Amino acid sequence: MDDGIYRNTCPRNCYGTCGILSHVKNNKLVKVTGDPSHGFTKGSLCAKGYAYTQFVYNPHRLKYPMLQTPRGSGNWVRISWDDAYSIIGKKMIELQARYGSNLASGYNKYSGNLGLLHYATEGLFNSIGTHTKPVGNPCALTGLNALEYSFGKKFSAVPEDMTYSKMIVLWGANPAVTNVHQMKFIYEARRKGAILVVIDPVLTQTAKKADLYIQIKPGTDMWLALGVAKLLYENGYASNDFLNERGEGWNEYINFITHGITMQEVYEITGVPPEAIAELASLYYSIKPTATWAGLGIQRNSNGNDSIEAINSLVALSGNLTIPNAGLYFMHFDVETFPNKLLNLEGPPNELVLESRSVDISDYANNALSFDNPPLKLLWIASRNIFTQDQNLAEWKELFDQLELIVTVDMYLTKTAMQSDLVLPAATHFEEEDLNIGYWHYWISLNQKAIPAYYEAKSDLQIARELTRKLNQLSPGFSSFPHEKEPIDWIYEEITPEIKHLYGINSFEDLMTKAFHKKEKSIFPDDRQIFRFFTPNENNCVASKAPGLDSFTLLTPQSLLKIHSQYEWVSWLNTKKDESLIEISLAAAKKKGIADQDKVELYNESASIIGTARISNHLPDNIVLTHQAGSNPINQLIKNKDTEKPDSSTYFYDSIVRLRKWEGYNV
Amino acid sequence: MGFCFNADDCIGCRACEIACKNENQTPSGINWRKVKKISSELFLSISCNHCENPECFRVCPQRAFTKRRDGIVEIEQSLCDGCQLCVTSCPYNAPQFDPETHKVSKCQMCYPRQDAGLLPTCVEACTTNALSIVNLDKFNNPDIVSSLPGFPDIQITRPSIVFFPQKIRKRYFLF
Repeated sequence: MDDGIYRNTCPRNCYGTCGILSHVKNNKLVKVTGDPSHGFTKGSLCAKGYAYTQFVYNPHRLKYPMLQTPRGSGNWVRISWDDAYSIIGKKMIELQARYGSNLASGYNKYSGNLGLLHYATEGLFNSIGTHTKPVGNPCALTGLNALEYSFGKKFSAVPEDMTYSKMIVLWGANPAVTNVHQMKFIYEARRKGAILVVIDPVLTQTAKKADLYIQIKPGTDMWLALGVAKLLYENGYASNDFLNERGEGWNEYINFITHGITMQEVYEITGVPPEAIAELASLYYSIKPTATWAGLGIQRNSNGNDSIEAINSLVALSGNLTIPNAGLYFMHFDVETFPNKLLNLEGPPNELVLESRSVDISDYANNALSFDNPPLKLLWIASRNIFTQDQNLAEWKELFDQLELIVTVDMYLTKTAMQSDLVLPAATHFEEEDLNIGYWHYWISLNQKAIPAYYEAKSDLQIARELTRKLNQLSPGFSSFPHEKEPIDWIYEEITPEIKHLYGINSFEDLMTKAFHKKEKSIFPDDRQIFRFFTPNENNCVASKAPGLDSFTLLTPQSLLKIHSQYEWVSWLNTKKDESLIEISLAAAKKKGIADQDKVELYNESASIIGTARISNHLPDNIVLTHQAGSNPINQLIKNKDTEKPDSSTYFYDSIVRLRKWEGYNV
Repeated sequence: MGFCFNADDCIGCRACEIACKNENQTPSGINWRKVKKISSELFLSISCNHCENPECFRVCPQRAFTKRRDGIVEIEQSLCDGCQLCVTSCPYNAPQFDPETHKVSKCQMCYPRQDAGLLPTCVEACTTNALSIVNLDKFNNPDIVSSLPGFPDIQITRPSIVFFPQKIRKRYFLF
């Protein structure tokens, strides 16, 4: 590679999707800076982004394909890529011969890298015909369904517009930790006089900075939204702009907030003091435009869908849906407007098995264990660290026991990789070409190959291409993956004339010079579009039971210097001493006789985790808070809930745990 | 020149600290800038403060430190013999001793960047503008203070930094 500056995009599952300029000298990444042409990033990165030289050149990175025999033994042997492809290819072909289809082969791929070319994993499996295919989205599906219900489409306002809002309500969102670039726009608005309101069960870093912080019991956001709407409506402050004519379900909604709930119920269920709700209602009435951001945490419990719908409805009723610089924020799915050729690649038909077998990614292990004709026998894991992030680990272990081949593609030897037969070293985004679309902002940016691969690391796409050749060599016609196509060919195909028009891109080469913003503004249009109000039903009028006196709701938000389990190996970001902190309330500490820094145990029927107590003055009595990942990850305590529907996010925040002081005997 | 740190605007995101490591490729454990959590509400982002009366300059037997006309305190590493007198005398832990090279290094306020018309990398990285550089001779604001809780004594060295304190916020907790 030539010395110089290359354009990269941070592909993590993060609001930022930041534009990076990569400074390369002698084939080495020597530093990274933010891309000034990227209007969201505006020339800066977050702490994790600034640590990328260490992420790339890290002694813990995987260098070669490795085979572990037996699985879980730690007895790893370096093998060649060709041998790795042979092992995988022979197993796939043998399974197909054994069962008459590829249903015994499946994958679990999620959000480790959100670049469009990482759909190569999906493309690879599509190319062998019908197989076992994950569906759903553990992160945001519930909220997404609520948006679809309210707006008839996925909708989220333009983040930079927050700069011009007069009030910003962050409802269960903590951008100071999870979306630091957004803080720039929030602070800009504030310098112009805007008020920042944060609603959250936890006094988060963002909440500490808010002009007004309102604490709420977790999972009760729906009632707060309905209560504020009730106050607005009953005081004659509801906006009549378009709601009577275009608001579907308006009468039922109004009937419910006037007769179906009382303010007393709202106070009791949410725990929010009456004067706080009155103040919030008064602010919603007196200040416009108000931007309201419903955070992902709101929808990670069984009330999630109703809460998001109720917040959408409050935004509409307050008249903040159709005016500029107000609106509703959640996340968008504009990536779906792209052809996604790899994701949608069609494979050869199988006359006996016409369709792939779906497995719910939020409940993968349980689902996959229920298959017997044929059972799942080969699992390919990419962009995913199941044993640190997913729920139902007991079921996962059971599933792993029945699998005949587990292949993990990763940059590091994660807890999941450690349980695999075969580990394939993945390229970082600096070592591959890609194209990235955000899910928060509306920028598109290119990812260039800036440096040579680290040792023998390869991109998901390169692996798909090479494995295809091996499969077809072993069994002609086994895979239809167009292996001759280069990464650039796939990127070209994504930049269709429609996409060029949508983003104002003249030619592909334009993308080499800067990032582009979608031209069409995402505000709720003033035309004939219908808005559907929150509809009460027999389920959503009932407050979920607070955990019993001896139980605690487990909240596991993101850490500042990690995204899920990513960046754990980067010593610049080393946070080992914070790793096992368990935040508990004053009341819990008193009741359980726990002092600050005591060793404590969190446990339930699934597992037990020992950590160091940190007593938090403002944590609600029935909540314990820890962070994800680390050497003894908290997901061991998380199990599928009865309340979880197939078409939902994972209800991580419905997890219930018990707490006791650890005396060293009860492990 | 000096730093201006707005404690009310700092969100403790540590971008300044890691941006410094990225720019200068300092090894793990050597932090020219460090974000410290002073209390649950207060972060301080501290580097070398390029003091008016730098203790490092005064105590260094090798005369490795110089103070530029614009106020930036530099260290000439080739002169450093690793005695660490500066490390023990600096109230702000600015000089960082590297046991591998047996040398001291510290924040040079990104003078090569500044000489090229760019901001120090920590300032550029600060998303909320909590950290900035100002001309302390001219900078005047009724809200600025000369120190904050948790910031070391400023009497002896007269650091080139000013602060904006935090503001009181309104909070409703569960009743």
